[in-house]
Amino acid sequence: MLGPDTAWYLAVAAVLFGIGALGVLIRRNTLVVLLSLELMLNAGNLALIALSRHWHNGAGQVFALSVMAVAASEVCVGLGLVVALNRRDLSLDVDTLSELRG
Amino acid sequence: MNGLVLASAGNVLVWIVWVVAAFSCIASGLAVVTFSNPFYSALALIGNLASLAVMYLLLSAEFVAAAQVLVYAGAVVVMFLFVIAYVGPRHETPWSGGPGWQTVGAAAAAGALLVEIVVAVGMQASGSLAHETEVGAAFGTPAWIGRIFLVDHLLAFEITSVVLLVAAVGGVILGSHTRRTA
Amino acid sequence: MTGGAWLCLLAPLVGTILILLGGSWLPRAAAAWIATTSVFVAFGGAVWALFGVRSSAGHQGEITTAWTWLESGSFHAGLQLLVDPLSAMMMLIVSGVGGLIVLYSIGYMDGDDEERRYFAYIAFFVFSMLLLVEGGNLLMLLVGWGLVGLSSYLLIGFWHERPSAVRAAKKAFVMNAFGDATMALAFFILIAHTNSLSFGVLDAHLSSTQANLVALGLLGGAVAKSAQIPLQTWLPDAMEGPTPVSALIHAATMVTAGVYLIARTHPIFEQARTIELIAAGTGALTLLVAGLIALVQTDIKRVIAYSTMSQIGYMFLGAGVGGYANGMFHLMTHAFFKALLFMTAGLAIHALANEQDIRKMRGLGRVMPFTKWCFLAGALALVGVPPFAGFFSKDPIIASTLNIGWYGYVFYACGIAGAFLTGLYTFRLWFLVFPGEPSPFVREHYHDHHGREGAWTMLVPVGVLAVLATVGGWIQWPPLWEPITHWLAPVAPTLAVAEVSSTQEYVTSAVTVLVGVAGIALAWAVYSERRIAIPAAPFWRRLFENKFYFDRLYDRIFYAPSAETATFLRREFEEPVVLQTGPDLGEATLETGGFVRRIQTGLLRTYVLFLAAGAAGVVLAFLIAK
Repeated sequence: MLGPDTAWYLAVAAVLFGIGALGVLIRRNTLVVLLSLELMLNAGNLALIALSRHWHNGAGQVFALSVMAVAASEVCVGLGLVVALNRRDLSLDVDTLSELRG
Repeated sequence: MNGLVLASAGNVLVWIVWVVAAFSCIASGLAVVTFSNPFYSALALIGNLASLAVMYLLLSAEFVAAAQVLVYAGAVVVMFLFVIAYVGPRHETPWSGGPGWQTVGAAAAAGALLVEIVVAVGMQASGSLAHETEVGAAFGTPAWIGRIFLVDHLLAFEITSVVLLVAAVGGVILGSHTRRTA
Repeated sequence: MTGGAWLCLLAPLVGTILILLGGSWLPRAAAAWIATTSVFVAFGGAVWALFGVRSSAGHQGEITTAWTWLESGSFHAGLQLLVDPLSAMMMLIVSGVGGLIVLYSIGYMDGDDEERRYFAYIAFFVFSMLLLVEGGNLLMLLVGWGLVGLSSYLLIGFWHERPSAVRAAKKAFVMNAFGDATMALAFFILIAHTNSLSFGVLDAHLSSTQANLVALGLLGGAVAKSAQIPLQTWLPDAMEGPTPVSALIHAATMVTAGVYLIARTHPIFEQARTIELIAAGTGALTLLVAGLIALVQTDIKRVIAYSTMSQIGYMFLGAGVGGYANGMFHLMTHAFFKALLFMTAGLAIHALANEQDIRKMRGLGRVMPFTKWCFLAGALALVGVPPFAGFFSKDPIIASTLNIGWYGYVFYACGIAGAFLTGLYTFRLWFLVFPGEPSPFVREHYHDHHGREGAWTMLVPVGVLAVLATVGGWIQWPPLWEPITHWLAPVAPTLAVAEVSSTQEYVTSAVTVLVGVAGIALAWAVYSERRIAIPAAPFWRRLFENKFYFDRLYDRIFYAPSAETATFLRREFEEPVVLQTGPDLGEATLETGGFVRRIQTGLLRTYVLFLAAGAAGVVLAFLIAK
């Protein structure tokens, strides 16, 4: 294969996953949390595609497409939530949605 | 030119493209996480998705790359932008709020995950990542993927469509006006 | 005959159970009559057993076993009853006199709030005492011993709202427990040596140390139960219980259990002759000390209580020198006249609205003649004036000390002096209470019971006992006729040293009677005619009134240090450590909870963080496993 080995692609995927995880854990704006979630999903996709190419197994690409479809549905629902929150004039700050406080 | 020179020239080209794509991927990822204006974060995500599509092309996954741009960048991010515009301007400092151990813990957890993945991959590197197989020209084409979807992984295909339907219905319900209780 | 034994034992138990089951649905009179009938049925059983023993060969008696009660390795103890001459005699005394006293208590306890409880307890006591005397092995005897102590505790503290009664009950129980402990230790030695507690073990040959230890342990139990020095302080306090209880338990039956024990286990005592003589010495000492204390008592029941202590001293003296039949005979006559004395005192107390101070009771005989004459019969029997019962039983005891050595002479002197004291304190009591003009107190407080001196249930037993106190001694007059000695010979033969010649017997009798009458005369002179003034003698008076300071001594040696230790432990250990454990545990739990609570921040980000951290941990575990 031309270009870098599969390991390089996996490294990029790992770093991207870490960045996405950091974003989910740190940010307070719900929308940005959802965006970081997309990052993580894409990182997973990248790993899948890279390994599919490595082992000549089409299941990886199929899986990646399914992930994309599910990610789209999840974003749809998540954004629906954000819209509903906004319509009720609730804050979008994740920290204020704390009714489970002990 | 002989095959080796062509091959090496092609290899160098691929390397250059890969480096640019990887760099922009990670940079845009960091941008998504650090911008305080969510609008900018969403735009950074488009950049991220585009660089990922480039890397997919390098990996002979043409159909997936096309789907990535069409579905993700074309539909998902547009939805994000719609909602961000609808919700209005919100600025918030990314790292603030919450108990003190929250930030430190988050950095530690993310770092740990990263390190673990690297270690896992590294351990495998001498194992199954050793031998690459050659791929034919049909690898990654829509026809090839379509066959796999409808022959080997039909169940996944069907379930995914159901998930999409459920999400669509859920989205409509969530977005509808609040009912007036009689 | 064994049927008689079982009937005798179980009838009062059945009575107790019936009363307890009946509870408050049972009418009070029914409870009373159930108890009385059960004890009289027991008496019938005792008579049956008596005839059975009489008709058996050699009058040996028989052991009947219900089932094996305790089995441990090679040690067996059965639920056994023994019917032999000694136990038959005790059964008759306990159930006979007991029946009369329970009948008496129907009248005495009439109207009390907790009458049913009383009759349940007293039937239970009769059962326990019968178990003690009928026990077919030492273990059953010990069970009976303990149950009798329990019944005594329950009955002394019957009026449990009175703090003095509760204190007295505890005191009696604790002192008896000491005796129980020494007895148990003695039994342990026996088991260790012979691996058995059946009565056969009494004939086993023990080494001299073992015999002495065992006999000492048995003596400890006997001394505690019979209120001899040094464990005598509980008996006067036990007068807090109702008068029938004093009559039955603390005069006729329970306190005589010590004498029975010595007679029953006499082979062991004979192997430890020194201990046996110590028992005799204890008896001699007690009879003097008790007699002296009785001289200054002002409570009618306490005078009679000290008299009991003194007479049991005589019984110990008689059994200790080896004349077991003498001791048992005096036990029998003492049961008659002492119960009689208590019961007539009870009639007086009842008629004077529970007043017990003799200084207020002068001239009672004028309004209560029946009581007066019955009390006189009992008093004369106690002093030992012929032909009353005490004369026949007390004199042989004193005489039997003549042949055992130099200490025998000391015992003899004690016995004679004791006879003098008996005459003195008994008739001090009689002269202060009965003859003469009724005092203002008597005139004001005396009330009769529908024209009679008491209910018929009280008068009849008193009358019966008065007759027995008069004629009961005629059954044996050593050395002329001795059916009781012959009766007991198969089980408790009199030792040779305790046998006396007829001359010694007659001389002793004469001396004792003279001395006793002298005591009566002195009492008449001092207390009736006031010819001689009561001597001041402040030192002696204080000594007697403080009961020879035994109570103070025991308080200082035993009670005060224990109370100090208990207070100290409570202050230093119980309150800071033990009681704090509960609150400390609670506080620690609350603190931990408060700390853990901080994890629940309510923030979504925190929970996601935990998710991520958990995922990282799981991956780490997988990596390590690889």
